Amino acid sequence: MKVRSRNLSRRSVLRGAGVSMALPLLEIMGKRSQAEPGAVTPVRVAFFYMPNGVVQRSWHPESTGRGYDLSPTLKPLQHVRDKVTLLTKLDRVKVAGTDGHAQAGACWLSSAAPDELSPAGYPLKMTIDQIIASEVGKDTAFRSLELSCNPYEDNRESVYFDNISWYGHGHVARSLRDPREVFNRLFSVKDHAANKSILDVVLDDAKSLDHELGKGDREKLGEYLESVRTVELQIERVTKRQKEIDGLDISPPSKPWQAMARDEFIQVMGDLMILALRCDLTRVATLMSAPERWGSPLMVHGLFNKPVDHHGMTHGQGNERVRRELEALDKFHVEQFARLVIKMDSINEGEGTLLDNVMFTLGSGISDGSLHVYTDLPTVIAGRAGGAINPGCHIKSPDGTPIANLWLTMAKTMGVRKTRIGDSTGSLNLA
Amino acid sequence: MVLMAVAWSEAKSFDYHSVRGRQASVTLNGVYEGESLELKGSSRVQGMKGFGPNWSGDAHLLWLGESGQKMETGFRVPGTGRYMVSLQMTRAPDYGIFSVAINGKAVRDGVDLFSEKVELSEPVDLGEMYLEEGLQKLTCTLTGANGKARAKGGRQFLLGLDFVRAVSLERKKADKVDALPVHVPKSPRRQVSFERIQPVFAKYCHRCHGQKGKVKGEVDLVRLSSAQAYASDPVIAKKLLAVLEMREMPPDDELSPKEADYQALRDFVEGAISDHLRKENTLPPVTLRRMNRYEYNNSVRDLLQLEGDVYPLPEKVIRSFRKYYDPASGKFPDSVHVGNRALGKNQIEQHLLTGVTPFAIDLQAEHGFNNRGDQLGFSPILMESFLGIARALLGSPEFDGYSALTAGFFSEPRGLPRNEWSKLAEERISVFLEKAFRSPLEKSTLGRYLGLFTRAVGAGGGFEPAMKEVASAALASPRFLYLLERKQGDDDPLNTYELATRLSFFLWSSIPDSELLALAGTGRLSDPHVYRDQVKRMLLDYRSKALSENFARQWLRLDRLITAVPDFERFELYYSRIGCEQWKLGLQTMAEPLLLFESIMVEDRSVMLLVDSNYSYRTTDMASWYRPGVPFKGKGNRGRFGTNSLVYTRQAVNSRREGGVITCAATLAMNASPLRTSPITRGAWVADVIFNRPPPPPPDTIPEIEADDAKIEASGQTLRQRLVEHQVNPSCVSCHKRIDPLGFALENYDAVGRWRDSYRSGLPIDAGGTLFGKSRFEDAVGLKDAIIENPEWFLRGFSEHLLAYALGRKLELADKPAVDAILSDAMATRGQFSVIVQSVASSYPFLHKAMAQNPVNQ
Repeated sequence: MKVRSRNLSRRSVLRGAGVSMALPLLEIMGKRSQAEPGAVTPVRVAFFYMPNGVVQRSWHPESTGRGYDLSPTLKPLQHVRDKVTLLTKLDRVKVAGTDGHAQAGACWLSSAAPDELSPAGYPLKMTIDQIIASEVGKDTAFRSLELSCNPYEDNRESVYFDNISWYGHGHVARSLRDPREVFNRLFSVKDHAANKSILDVVLDDAKSLDHELGKGDREKLGEYLESVRTVELQIERVTKRQKEIDGLDISPPSKPWQAMARDEFIQVMGDLMILALRCDLTRVATLMSAPERWGSPLMVHGLFNKPVDHHGMTHGQGNERVRRELEALDKFHVEQFARLVIKMDSINEGEGTLLDNVMFTLGSGISDGSLHVYTDLPTVIAGRAGGAINPGCHIKSPDGTPIANLWLTMAKTMGVRKTRIGDSTGSLNLA
Repeated sequence: MVLMAVAWSEAKSFDYHSVRGRQASVTLNGVYEGESLELKGSSRVQGMKGFGPNWSGDAHLLWLGESGQKMETGFRVPGTGRYMVSLQMTRAPDYGIFSVAINGKAVRDGVDLFSEKVELSEPVDLGEMYLEEGLQKLTCTLTGANGKARAKGGRQFLLGLDFVRAVSLERKKADKVDALPVHVPKSPRRQVSFERIQPVFAKYCHRCHGQKGKVKGEVDLVRLSSAQAYASDPVIAKKLLAVLEMREMPPDDELSPKEADYQALRDFVEGAISDHLRKENTLPPVTLRRMNRYEYNNSVRDLLQLEGDVYPLPEKVIRSFRKYYDPASGKFPDSVHVGNRALGKNQIEQHLLTGVTPFAIDLQAEHGFNNRGDQLGFSPILMESFLGIARALLGSPEFDGYSALTAGFFSEPRGLPRNEWSKLAEERISVFLEKAFRSPLEKSTLGRYLGLFTRAVGAGGGFEPAMKEVASAALASPRFLYLLERKQGDDDPLNTYELATRLSFFLWSSIPDSELLALAGTGRLSDPHVYRDQVKRMLLDYRSKALSENFARQWLRLDRLITAVPDFERFELYYSRIGCEQWKLGLQTMAEPLLLFESIMVEDRSVMLLVDSNYSYRTTDMASWYRPGVPFKGKGNRGRFGTNSLVYTRQAVNSRREGGVITCAATLAMNASPLRTSPITRGAWVADVIFNRPPPPPPDTIPEIEADDAKIEASGQTLRQRLVEHQVNPSCVSCHKRIDPLGFALENYDAVGRWRDSYRSGLPIDAGGTLFGKSRFEDAVGLKDAIIENPEWFLRGFSEHLLAYALGRKLELADKPAVDAILSDAMATRGQFSVIVQSVASSYPFLHKAMAQNPVNQ
């Protein structure tokens, strides 16, 4: 990051690899927004995805309740253990006929019931983050933010492995992979404003097409129409906040992501996400630490001296050495999450910190990768959600509790008026 | 499939290398050879064979003169009306600059024929014109010469005219495509009655499928008690066809039917499927497709007439260093000079135009391509990308020198007062938008873009920025970004504009050019001769390289090689041997199968060469790959790798262990793991890519196998023995019996694709197996023989892949008649490339959006 040198001394700088936050500025922003009459600090929601499940025996703590013992894989959370909630025994139902991994990622946040299948065969419809965004994204510059630290350029897997956020079953909320692109999207106000006149023309183009198309194609064109409308609103709202954004005085990540180590990549993306949440540019974000399956070996710097195939390892965990390596990789992901949680906790906001006003969920759509098991999904929530969550506990749900109960609870917390999501049977008590 | 018997008897001895097209000498409609035109003044005919095989008729018209002098000749058109006229010229070091007139009217200026070497020019487009029936006067006036051109005798320069092309644009009576005949093969399949086949089913199938409550695989055949019953159960019929085609049933340990009974079973099932399709034959509609990243690049390049790509694309595995792809020549060069960095992944960091970066790649469907509407979504981020790219592109400092529209569409009219701009703008914008949107322009649409222009100018902006605003909007419009196909009756064919667009996206991954659009506009595209001519012309155009870059690359799943990481210590060769893990020598192998594919396209050979070819394109470094005896000479010499370009030369393949796409280093290496081969991955790849019969997804419980073959071999077992040992579950066995032999056949190739006679531990390699329960083979060569002896298997797979790619959707049972038709054309010509392409382009699903009356073979 580049901060003007004369300012450096009076700034505490939270360092990521390429982008970082200049905290005092954010504090100024915070004060300003509080000065507005009637301003309430909003609750924000974010998701952090780990692909391919986790080694079961090293994930689950023996004890429950407050003061439970952190399991080996969860150790990186020890400094924030009072600020996170561990949830176990939350299940999904796997639907036969489609790939276990594609379903794990694409349908993790799905609001479809298991028997509600899309034409592609997945129980996939609007995901919970987008349901929440429909409610709380009305006021922010960006409806939602989708990020992926997918480093692969080999086109190996389909769209279902690379996205956890969906507007609808066949309508992906495409994730951004390049931190510089994310930065420009969030903070280059001018780029947005210049497009206004063009949007008017193409929107009319799309509308005039509508009557010429058959039903299926009209639906497909709907994706376009909706995108244009979203971008139009975005321009309006970003423009309103132009001054503040210009005043942030931050510069884009200096390193290309291709040159970043794994942890660096994830942290830079995480920083951008935190920045967007902190500045209230959006209230909903998803971050994939890596895509599902994708059996291409990948270098995880500092952990292994050779590229490893995460997915392949999950099927080899019967071997002691492989399992130990896999545990290290699981722990690596938890550590990345923990570092972001700590960053959130170090940002003052109102009386507390940013962490107090978020609901930041770590999880995977599959629990045991070796057997493609969907029950007892690894789930951790960081933050107090503005008081809706009383963290520090390990909550073990009764057998057969659908994870949709958690999504329903979150949706309610965020003000979504729903009594049921997918196969949910009720809410969870997190308070 | 019934054709199998025909081809079978002689296939063994047939050499597919003898299939060779002579595309270059095939004349298209409306071509007037320079050497046959009237010769006046100094004009004469010059034989051009000595300069290469590229000249049509191996000759051109040669003229010599001084500045101001004219080459005059003429050509006769058959009828009065509008024509699209172009010239194919020759370029050479002593050739001049000319202006061109037709019937005394100037139509083109500044045609510079200078080139350092003697070669064909790009077609010189003279545009649309109205011509009366009979003789047309063509005049080329020497107006000057390029500074570098060398004059003859101090003042004289030359002109070479290979041919004139005048394509009639006259409207035909109907402008619907229904005039295009759909190819339906007369199938020699025998009618097999239920009475004839019932005992065969009873004898070989019923015991496991229906008798005594035993219903394996949920297939109950006992309950199907008539031909109609089979015809009304397409799910069962489809399953039956698949297992019979591949001879998976009855299983090995059961009684096996005689050949005649096998044939009868198949004929019966085929008949049942035909009966079913005659009643219920709705094709799945093609879902509205957005351009993918590759198509967007090509379309913008062609619309804005850019010199090259919009952004560097990793999809382009081979970056042309010197232009080598010239399909009109009919001969793929023996030596190919290609960009090298493209073979690595870093090229994405380079920029062609300041500030222009590509959006994220569109991912391939699980067993398909990345041009499927159902998977190509739209989102706010993408909208932002399209807006951003257009703006960055048109605003980049390099743009004006990069686009041929700078001097035309965008240029401010000299001397025209500001208040008269709009009329000119309207003319230019209509032409531009018609090309961009590939359809007649509605007044209201034109009005919107004109409004944009007027507002930009009204706000005090200049002509050029306003035109750029218009272009930016067009590039973000759904009419540009989507392949729009209008709502119509169930079995209505596409209109000619939609057909032109489908065709150009199939063959070029881009928008139609002016000629194709003009033929769409007049409806002449639906004339079968014109249509076939266009397919031919498009294959001969350099843009057909898209079939290699976009189709072949995805079909072979070649991208997987990018992330292949054979163990650095064990497979040092894969890397550079200069101790650098980043620079992978192995990536050089990625171009090999693509160059083979391109040579088959350009020389119009048989696609069977993709299974087994006696030549291949390789770099010198790759010799040490395929020849264990050849030492790698480059050790320690970094400069040797030439970071800019590599030379691939056409080499005779001496051993049948090499050649084709199955036994080439790239596909073998990408389907292996770091420390050993991965026979199941290789087998699944062969089943999917070569036969288009992908295995079902693996079950949830996959037993682990050691990642390092050294450890397996240390226990005295081979990888094959270990894998078999692990197949405890009968359901595993039945599936693996199909996949594994295809992979084990390749077990003589190590994890980077080098031949080995035995495992490193000395254990013997067992590469034997049976193909589709029918053809026994002992090794990879035997596998290739088995495929060549049954060409139908590969040709069907290839035809299906190509049709699915052309349509941008998944194939269904209802597509079977179309596939059968393509297959019969392919079989009849022994897999000649252009024939398969023509057949796909003329197939019923390609000509229709959705359909109700699929012609079914009788």
